[in-house]
Amino acid sequence: MIKKQKAVSAIQWARCLALTVGVVLLISSLGCSRDRQATISLQGAGATFPYPLYSKWMSEYQRLKPNVRIDYQSIGSGAGIRQIRERVVDFGASDAPMTDQDLNAAPGKILHIPTVIGAVVVTYNLPSVNGELKLERATLAGIFLGEITKWNDAKLRAINSTLALPDTAIVVVHRTDGSGTTNIFTDFLSRSSPLWQQRAGKGTSVNWPVGIGGKGNEGVTGQVKQLPGAIGYVELAYAEQNKLPYALIENPAGEFIKPSIGSTTAAAAGIISAMPEDFRVSLVNAPGRGAYPIAGFTYILIYQNQAHTAKGRALVEFLQWAIREGQEYASAILYAPLPIELVPRVYNKLRTITY
Amino acid sequence: MSAERGVLYRKWLDRMMLGMTTLCALIAIAVLLLILGYIAIRGASVLNWNLLTQLPKPIGETGGGIGNAIAGTLILIGLACLVGLPVGIFSGIYLAEFGHGRFGSTLRFLTDVLTGVPSIVIGIFAYTLLVLPMRRFSALAGGFALGVIMIPVVTRTTEEMMKLVPSTLREAALALGAPEWRAILGVVVRSAGTGIATGVMLAIARIAGETAPLLFTALGSRFWPRAIDEPAPALTLQIFNYATGPYEEWHRLAWAGTFVLVALILIINISVRWLTRNPYRTGH
Repeated sequence: MIKKQKAVSAIQWARCLALTVGVVLLISSLGCSRDRQATISLQGAGATFPYPLYSKWMSEYQRLKPNVRIDYQSIGSGAGIRQIRERVVDFGASDAPMTDQDLNAAPGKILHIPTVIGAVVVTYNLPSVNGELKLERATLAGIFLGEITKWNDAKLRAINSTLALPDTAIVVVHRTDGSGTTNIFTDFLSRSSPLWQQRAGKGTSVNWPVGIGGKGNEGVTGQVKQLPGAIGYVELAYAEQNKLPYALIENPAGEFIKPSIGSTTAAAAGIISAMPEDFRVSLVNAPGRGAYPIAGFTYILIYQNQAHTAKGRALVEFLQWAIREGQEYASAILYAPLPIELVPRVYNKLRTITY
Repeated sequence: MSAERGVLYRKWLDRMMLGMTTLCALIAIAVLLLILGYIAIRGASVLNWNLLTQLPKPIGETGGGIGNAIAGTLILIGLACLVGLPVGIFSGIYLAEFGHGRFGSTLRFLTDVLTGVPSIVIGIFAYTLLVLPMRRFSALAGGFALGVIMIPVVTRTTEEMMKLVPSTLREAALALGAPEWRAILGVVVRSAGTGIATGVMLAIARIAGETAPLLFTALGSRFWPRAIDEPAPALTLQIFNYATGPYEEWHRLAWAGTFVLVALILIINISVRWLTRNPYRTGH
């Protein structure tokens, strides 16, 4: 008898659980359907890099326009492009511009709206070295090609004569996952060294000649922190937040530039005159004094013809706010804002969107 | 003399092996305790009421919590149960009662294959089946993906538990004139109830920690869950986002989220133990 009661109580327990969950679901779906008409919901997804900033923007914007609910989830640039192509989201986001092939495969014309600029910094672990390490373009490529294997290599010493570089082996750390950061960094290496271009090339993931892998910015950060002699590349915000040292990089003007919000924005400012109509441009090796050479725009991807009037209008208004007022929030959390001269051009592009 | 040495040797060997097995057992437990302890230390120190009840706040603002993610995870589990339990339990009943032929063994094999399918593949399946046609990420798609993962676990435990029920019980029911469906539902399933509930709870514990199948289905959200056709937040997604971010504040939230998730799964596991503790003992 006892046996039976136990068994019954277990089933009832499971039944109760299912019932409770069902009721909760019902209530939540009923309770919320009422205010649904009044508010406009916009959904975006894509690049990981701008996620903290976009969340900040959306939360601030909601204070201004309480009836506009915008959400953004970071699923990676590639996935962001895919979702906007499939029209699963209202806007996508990517660190790398879409290829012509991707654009042609989309069911409508997609615009690239640059929102902020990211910089990729070269970080290293040399506890005995105080002072700023300088890296020439060819030297950096040489290190990642595995040709330069010691920190006291003649090429490194020649340019860093004030530093006491140790006789330590260089350990290259790179990303194992596909990433926009890798795309920008390998773009820079390809332009710096024909041999790199030929051996590995540029892309979101490449065939690395040497080195060990780490997953994500945090993976590379962790590896570099643990291994004396390590060198790797991460986004500026990671290096800053983790107090990692980072190298000054030679730009096409022959200057050694310290990565910073200012020098990253300068890279974008340098390229404005050569900026194509659709904003699809690389900021790597951008001309101009003081321009940091390993940088790139991050974009929001949006259809030029918006299917839904109210949603389309809300989205355009939000983006107009983001590229003007929103820029103020960028540098506080280590994103380089758009150069001021570029803002009107992006603004005018947003005005071409129909809804 | 030599006999004594043999005894000594055997005693030594016995101690040695006992020591080694004990050591291995301790290592196994130590790993678990280390993980739990580390999570508890890192997570519990961050834990407070606001964290459990509030919405996340953007970086640069203090406070904020993971309340919506906890709610989202519970809703996703609920939806997964709606999908996974009926299918799982009924196919388990089929396999136990009627699955004796070739079709049954094929089905059993396929269920085992389904157990081994990586969860991200099931996520993509749900994406293709629900997200693309609906043109939106939704809690529904996430719950469906998790439900599919539950099916094979529930099916096989249901089947195993029903097979444990003595056939004399079934025969007794049939002899009393009960139709077959009545004998199965009223006697066999009911007797196996505790075991089936265990399987259900284990399946829930398994899916509560899934991230991959939710990436392209539930997607995540920074709002409270509102409707099942909208993207839903989930603890695992939130932990993933926070842990991979550059900010120290986010890492703290990730630890807190991990602690809550592990606590949730532990509670489920312990309640399983509690539900199943007696039935096989009180009978003696």
